[in-house]
Amino acid sequence: MTILGELALWIAFPVALFGTVLAFVGGRQQRGDLVLSAERAVYAVFGLLTLASAGIVAAFLGDRFEYWYVWNYSNRELDVFYKAAGLWAGQRGSLLFWVLLLAMFSVIAVFTNRKKNREFMPYVTGVLLTVITFFLCVLLFAEVNPFEQLPFAQADGRGLNPQLQNYWMTIHPPTLYLGFTAFTIPFAFAISALLTGRLDSRWLVIIRKWTLLSWFFLSVGVIFGMRWAYEELGWGGYWFWDPVENASLLPWLTATAFLHSVMIQENRGMLKVWNMGLVTLTWTLTIFATFLTRSGLIESVHSFATNSTIALIFLAFLGVTVSVSILLIIWRYDDLKAENEIQSFASREAAFLLNNLLLLGIAFAVFWGTIFPLIGEALTGKKVSVGPGFFNSVNAPLGMVLLGLMGVGPVIAWRRATKRNIKKNFFMPLGVGLGVFALLVALGSRQWMSLITFGLSAFVFTVIAVEFFKGTKARARIEGSAPPTALLHLVSRNRRRWGGYIVHVGIVMIFTAFAAASFKMELIQTLEPGESVTIESPFGHTYTLTYQGVSTALRTRNMEWQAQALLTVARNGKPVGSITTEKRMYLTYPAPVTEVGIRSTAFEDLYVILANAEDLGRALSNDAGGQRATFEVQINPLVGWIWYGGLMVAFGAMVGLWPSKGSLAEHRSKATPREATREPVGVTV
Amino acid sequence: MNKNHRFLIGLVGVTAVVTYLIWTGVSKTMVYYLTPTELLAQVIEDPTLHDLGLKVSGRVVRGSWVADETGGLEHHFRVEDLEDPSVSFPVVYRNLLPDTFNDSDEHVEVVVEGRFRQDGVFEATEVLTKCGSRYEAAPEAVT
Repeated sequence: MTILGELALWIAFPVALFGTVLAFVGGRQQRGDLVLSAERAVYAVFGLLTLASAGIVAAFLGDRFEYWYVWNYSNRELDVFYKAAGLWAGQRGSLLFWVLLLAMFSVIAVFTNRKKNREFMPYVTGVLLTVITFFLCVLLFAEVNPFEQLPFAQADGRGLNPQLQNYWMTIHPPTLYLGFTAFTIPFAFAISALLTGRLDSRWLVIIRKWTLLSWFFLSVGVIFGMRWAYEELGWGGYWFWDPVENASLLPWLTATAFLHSVMIQENRGMLKVWNMGLVTLTWTLTIFATFLTRSGLIESVHSFATNSTIALIFLAFLGVTVSVSILLIIWRYDDLKAENEIQSFASREAAFLLNNLLLLGIAFAVFWGTIFPLIGEALTGKKVSVGPGFFNSVNAPLGMVLLGLMGVGPVIAWRRATKRNIKKNFFMPLGVGLGVFALLVALGSRQWMSLITFGLSAFVFTVIAVEFFKGTKARARIEGSAPPTALLHLVSRNRRRWGGYIVHVGIVMIFTAFAAASFKMELIQTLEPGESVTIESPFGHTYTLTYQGVSTALRTRNMEWQAQALLTVARNGKPVGSITTEKRMYLTYPAPVTEVGIRSTAFEDLYVILANAEDLGRALSNDAGGQRATFEVQINPLVGWIWYGGLMVAFGAMVGLWPSKGSLAEHRSKATPREATREPVGVTV
Repeated sequence: MNKNHRFLIGLVGVTAVVTYLIWTGVSKTMVYYLTPTELLAQVIEDPTLHDLGLKVSGRVVRGSWVADETGGLEHHFRVEDLEDPSVSFPVVYRNLLPDTFNDSDEHVEVVVEGRFRQDGVFEATEVLTKCGSRYEAAPEAVT
């Protein structure tokens, strides 16, 4: 099986390369037969890559430790679950997995467009196969072949990093990868539109769902990563502004900008160059994110595996693709002129534009902070870096303006808002926002940034709630139906709009949770069994944790030892349950790992970490008096709202993605810009 | 006002704000990355180094780790230069240490972030460990 897989990988490369040539030649010479062959090459490559990936999975399941990759990321004792996930446990398999997902999306794109949008397909196929060929090239020729064999078969593997042995591990990387790879489809259509000169809004309509699909996976992937960090890395936070985290955030930011700016192009015929630029930039950032981790380009305490060959190859590839894209945009510049101009700052297009500029501003700041060590060293000759403080101080104010805009954008009129429009839509929500802010100040809080964020969140939430209320009421009147039915019909008639609002509610929840983090409580305490520690919640009540002792287990299946501390929890003196936190020493890992104890409620998490203390050694040797242990106890207010908000975001995106019966007709009518709104050519943006 | 310039005004405005935020952000939070040898040599030439945010990477000196739990948790240990183990300085840290931290023979590499006090003790606000090159930490191994 594994041999077959390796063979498949080798065959996939010439097939993809040949297909690329066929697609471009076929497109240039208008030869349908060549294009069809190129499309078949896409199917073939997907089949071959499926075989190759199956080969790797089979090697993991079969404990084939003669393969370097399997030996390095697995061992006999590993759960089957994690063995199967070995495909994306390390760099080599991840690259194969990445190109497999890209091939999968390519097959879907080629298949769904086998009868329509034919004029775009030659170059779409060509671009997709180019990217696939590039990745296959890296896999086969840059010393990262996952099928590489060791000189001697090993008896057992080196095991998987215990921090990766967490269920999020099986789902977080694939989700992000789905997001990264899915964005290649919009990029391919953008390039095809440029090459064929079909630059009306048709290509935008085709890629709309693709962009949203990619965005959906990116959002969910980033949230999963935060949840994983919160549960597994055990410091009570979920975001560290590590280069790798930042790299996954960058394409999300620019894709979010694109989802908004595309609406301006559809409705007002503006921002054509801008949108082209955003698609290219987002795609570039997905590739950047894919390679940043392993290149060792940026010093991160987390990135050890340095492979500078890969870094150079990726940088060269990015350089070429970005240059080609920019040249194409310049070449077609005259066809990308705007059909309208911004008439007023008080208009929806102005609000959307500001949203775009802010999102790009945040993306730039994150990018700058991430590569700052490189710039700083080049300029000053000294090694410098910026930490989480930099990212928070730059992004918090920008994010707050963005949050406020979420309340403005959906209800302000296109073109030019009248005083009446503004008064009607904003009077009440602004009142609610200010009310919440004033109430919190009256309660005695002085965390201004957080309070303003809470006020803005209330404002945005009210705007959206009023929209839902008004829409449902109007539908109920027209149909004479009950409110729940009316609501359902309302949403299904314009899934994109209402789905977007649901996403906004999720984002508001997440912002609220970020702001609440400044009310976090934490303390560190060393306890003997029977002793207690009391911590006050920002909501006013207290928790008393009483340490009951450590229970230990020695030499279990895959662990040298395991020490589990039990604490009982009382809320305002009333027992409400217990919490456990433990240290584990895996056989295959040189240091202990912590399992934190979390007790979640709707409004706060009680989060307990067992410290790395020498005392544990005495507990493990069954020393009766050696049960002393040190704990860090935290109260993380509203942290759960990140996960609930994430669910809301995912749900909203799914509402937008769900195919609707009338969607085709609706697309067509939107595809042709209404003549009535056409005005003399204005700003060329 | 020329209507055509509205976009440009917005662009310039946002760019100015972002630049200002980045500028102040960098000047407030920038830290210098040094080795123990560089730290001890440079601090003699330039005493203002005591007031700057610093990151120093080195190795935990074997057997130097003492946890003092009287009056709150306090960790004391020494960090030596990777190249020249004879150069080292004391560190104090008042938080939980990472799981991979220890002062045994395993030669744990650490990055301490904080300030180098006038009395020659490094007051760390953050201690990060690197352990053996093959163990990549969680999110990075797969992202």
